[in-house]
Amino acid sequence: MPGMADVTGDSFSASLIRGAFLAQTRWKAMKSRTARRYMELHALSASLELFKPGAVVPWVSYLFPTELLASYGITPMIPEIGAATLTGTDLRGPVESAADRMPLARDVCSYHRIALAAVENDMLPAPTMCLGTTPLCLGKECLLEMLALRYDAPFREIRVPLPPDEVEASSEVVADVAEQMRVLHEDIGRWTGRKPDLKKAIGLSNRASAAWGRVMAERLAGRLEMNGRRTFATVFLGQLLWGTEEGARDFERLLTERGRSDLLAPALDEGRRLKRLLWLHTVPHHDSEIFEMMERRGAVVIFEEMGQMHLETVDPDDPFPGLARRLTDNVLWGSSTRRARLNVALAKRLKVDGAVHFNHWGCRHGLGSLPVVRSAFVEAGIPFLAIDGDALGRGGAQQEKSRQAMESFLELL
Amino acid sequence: MPYCYYTCNLLPLGLIARAGYTPRWLGSRLVDANAPARREALSIHPMTCPYVTKLVAAADALFAGSAGGEAEERRSGPPSEASCDRGGAAGAAGAAGAAGAAEAAGAAEAAASSTQTRDLTGALRGDLGGSSDDCLVVPGGCDAARRMGDLLAATYPELVFVLSMPRSAGPEAVKTLAADLRRLEDRLLTRGAMTPAHDPKPGLAPGTAPSVDYPAVPRPGGVFVVAGPLTDDSLLRLIGRLGAHVSGLESCTSPDRWRPLATLDYAAPPAPGQTADAAVAAGAAGRDHGDLAAKMLETGMCPRRSTTQRRAHLGRRLDESRPASIIYARQSFCDPGAYDALLMAQLARERGLPFLEIEVDFPFEANGPLLTRVEAFLEAQLLDDDLLDRLDDRLDDGLDDGLDDDLGDTALS
Ligand code: SF4
Ligand code: SF4
Repeated sequence: MPGMADVTGDSFSASLIRGAFLAQTRWKAMKSRTARRYMELHALSASLELFKPGAVVPWVSYLFPTELLASYGITPMIPEIGAATLTGTDLRGPVESAADRMPLARDVCSYHRIALAAVENDMLPAPTMCLGTTPLCLGKECLLEMLALRYDAPFREIRVPLPPDEVEASSEVVADVAEQMRVLHEDIGRWTGRKPDLKKAIGLSNRASAAWGRVMAERLAGRLEMNGRRTFATVFLGQLLWGTEEGARDFERLLTERGRSDLLAPALDEGRRLKRLLWLHTVPHHDSEIFEMMERRGAVVIFEEMGQMHLETVDPDDPFPGLARRLTDNVLWGSSTRRARLNVALAKRLKVDGAVHFNHWGCRHGLGSLPVVRSAFVEAGIPFLAIDGDALGRGGAQQEKSRQAMESFLELL
Repeated sequence: MPYCYYTCNLLPLGLIARAGYTPRWLGSRLVDANAPARREALSIHPMTCPYVTKLVAAADALFAGSAGGEAEERRSGPPSEASCDRGGAAGAAGAAGAAGAAEAAGAAEAAASSTQTRDLTGALRGDLGGSSDDCLVVPGGCDAARRMGDLLAATYPELVFVLSMPRSAGPEAVKTLAADLRRLEDRLLTRGAMTPAHDPKPGLAPGTAPSVDYPAVPRPGGVFVVAGPLTDDSLLRLIGRLGAHVSGLESCTSPDRWRPLATLDYAAPPAPGQTADAAVAAGAAGRDHGDLAAKMLETGMCPRRSTTQRRAHLGRRLDESRPASIIYARQSFCDPGAYDALLMAQLARERGLPFLEIEVDFPFEANGPLLTRVEAFLEAQLLDDDLLDRLDDRLDDGLDDGLDDDLGDTALS
């Protein structure tokens, strides 16, 4: 079976191997017919296009409104997704060694360290433009702008002020962000010489949003219980597909039982009630052990903080304010107090038995808000656990410690 | 006059003084690391830069003790505050503070079991707490600093003001910062127990701003030091002790940074024939926060700013100071510093300059391994210089011999 190392080249043989690799992934998707598998297929196939010579490769931040790219038929390259994907393949060893050799400090977010090592060693395609957003963190803006300088690519940042703690961002702020997006959308056309079709991209994104919004509403109402870890992994990849035909179809697949069959939370176990948990921040992508242990211990993650995005559609005739609002009022943006308030409210609404915060290696945004989030949960009387780890890690002493902490927490519950 | 403490010194101290507060850098009021921690002390994740970690502890010690310690604080006051107050409107209070210096030192011993704060001008004193009129401004430039502001604002809501700092210096960023500065000023004024004061150079009073200065006049051919916040010149002195000299310092607390910021105010420069007081009054009437914001962003070209602008700034500084090598003293867990160090390493490569990155604590301490690394780095260069000198001498000798021969020949002919 070909590995990632074989499919990322730009030679003729690499393109043949790419074809074979995709055919395999397609076969898996067709067999299961689930949204998850199709999303994997489409995200992979769109991403592999980025390796072709002459491809437009926009490195963008995780929350970037990718519809602005879909309007031109361009797939984004999101460093966090690139890093998580590579470390799950046979390129894990080489990319980790490359990161170790790199002079960048080891204490920065590992998504960014790995992405940088990958692009510098031809495991990810080099950027032709770098597009950031102030949310969520400064580290990725530093990374994106540094890459832009190194590869002589244009850099733009959508500047998004912090929202107030209690209310929505003001209409002036939304208008300012919307205007930045409008100008950027035009710039992308100028840089690439392509013709936009934003209305079409927004229409497709809206189809996906409507479907995802319905699924999330069902989950919030307690009528649908999905496996939070897997669901997050699916939405994570889905970031590459908003505004595309494939994305629309894949998110719509979630509306059918078959389409979401591999994302459902485990059923109640012989009358025993499973402990239902809310997961905050990112997940350990390659460490299934902790989740398996949780299931063995009668607990399951039924909701994930990071899945709450693109829940509303935007006006196709005037899309920028709607796209801007998704950034200005994103649940993950704002002060620690805002994050704490929203998450406690979410936990109460879902009536979870507890919440788990994943302290991802090097994430100042997440780690920094932890004390405020923790005390809000404690005050609300909701059991709370914070575990340290690396979202890209696999095994090791830290993971073992976290697993033990989780075991004790579950016992306590 | 109550104190307005601040964390990052990217603030116009004139604005604070005008609002009736004595500005004071929190970095000079650190909690003694050897003192036992309070049971309810705020805790933050260990993967946070030492600067933020120490400042959170300092603010917590000040404000948690404010209720009980207020009277004591007013009665004694630390030594460095005396001169500070004398420079401001409350000269009488300053004199009282000076008289109480000895008492404060005694109180420190008596309070051995409680938290202690260390004034970095040298005096160790007990946790006398702050006054309930005191407050804190946290410019949230990086994620860690922003989250520090969030935590302190959540804990001491009435006392802490978080000021968002943009990365760019474009017109919209200036506009947003200007609005935030206006809000800060209004809040200080409405909180204010004091009448607004006019002090055109508040930050030049001892203890008010971080007052790092060059121990000797910088000159070309030495070490260019890049660092995060420093409390004093010990890193520069260390270089001197190891036989090298300093060509320049680029730090949040370097003199070219803190001096202009310490006197930054929206007062217009005195017109010809106008007294300084009249100019200050004119500035107060104009209250041009936009101009102030623009000047702040122009002065504070720090690592978290736009990489492109920062690169140009660093390049300029290197060209001006013409160093022979570069030392980057980065605080551990500092994201902007991590990317900035890469940038600096590249600038060093382009100029053929030896480069060393070290990880430092706050306050800076030359511990064993760090000392060895700096020593080895500088020795290698001194050795290089020595070899080059000797090579030069040999070449000179060779040339001289040749010349002698030539002259000899001529003489013979
Ligand atoms: S994990 Fe944290 S630091 Fe890393 S990309 Fe996400 S928000 Fe940024
Ligand atoms: S810039 Fe670096 S040293 Fe300064 S507060 Fe942020 S993380 Fe700490």
